[in-house]
Amino acid sequence: MAISRIPPAALSLKQFLQRQRVLGIYRNMLRTIRQVPDEADRKYLTDWARAEFKRNKDATNQDAIRMMITQANNHLEELQKSLALARS
Amino acid sequence: MAARVLQQCVRSLARPSLRLCSGNPAVRAAAAPAVAIHRPLSFAADSRRTRWLGQSRVSVVGVLCRQYGDLPPLTLETIKDRVMYVLKLYDKINPEKLQTSSHFMKDLGLDSLDQVEIIMAMEDEFGFEIPDAEAEKLMTPEEIVQYIADKKDVYE
Repeated sequence: MAISRIPPAALSLKQFLQRQRVLGIYRNMLRTIRQVPDEADRKYLTDWARAEFKRNKDATNQDAIRMMITQANNHLEELQKSLALARS
Repeated sequence: MAARVLQQCVRSLARPSLRLCSGNPAVRAAAAPAVAIHRPLSFAADSRRTRWLGQSRVSVVGVLCRQYGDLPPLTLETIKDRVMYVLKLYDKINPEKLQTSSHFMKDLGLDSLDQVEIIMAMEDEFGFEIPDAEAEKLMTPEEIVQYIADKKDVYE
């Protein structure tokens, strides 16, 4: 009988990729928030982003996660557009 | 490295205020491309750090001794101190339990979102970006110090 060497808690490939995507979005969000000019706004936004990501940390349903990723991307694009407008 | 040696030569030339004019243009021409290649980042990043060259005297004769602005050189010790300082400031880490070999996830109980935040804090501290692929592998302070030393060409 073949004994699987992969530990039971390992993620499948799709889950692993999704996890990488989420971390990438979190990183992009933090980088974009860094460009916000006001210090208090920056703190508020980082706290908001942190709370949102942590709140949904334990979600396991792939579709739900995909929806949340799309939402996060929308927020990120909105933030980037506002920053571009504010800068011009 | 070469820029510092040349600049020390310039300073030593600047002190006796006589035989300056011939030495300087050659030194300046040789040193300028070296500074441009070695430290392109230092002019943009971290201008709040004191320029350690700005304090030296300019000679009385009015020779244009160019002061090259640069940050103090990084050593493994200073990198380690700064990394540990930033980590101690992070509120989710217990400063007593923190050591250079403590793993963020296994020993300190942080999760991957926290690790992303820590690496972003390191980027802020040292002033250069760490790409995603390499950032997710840095799991202990020791690895972070090694990575920064690799990127900044710090040998000891």
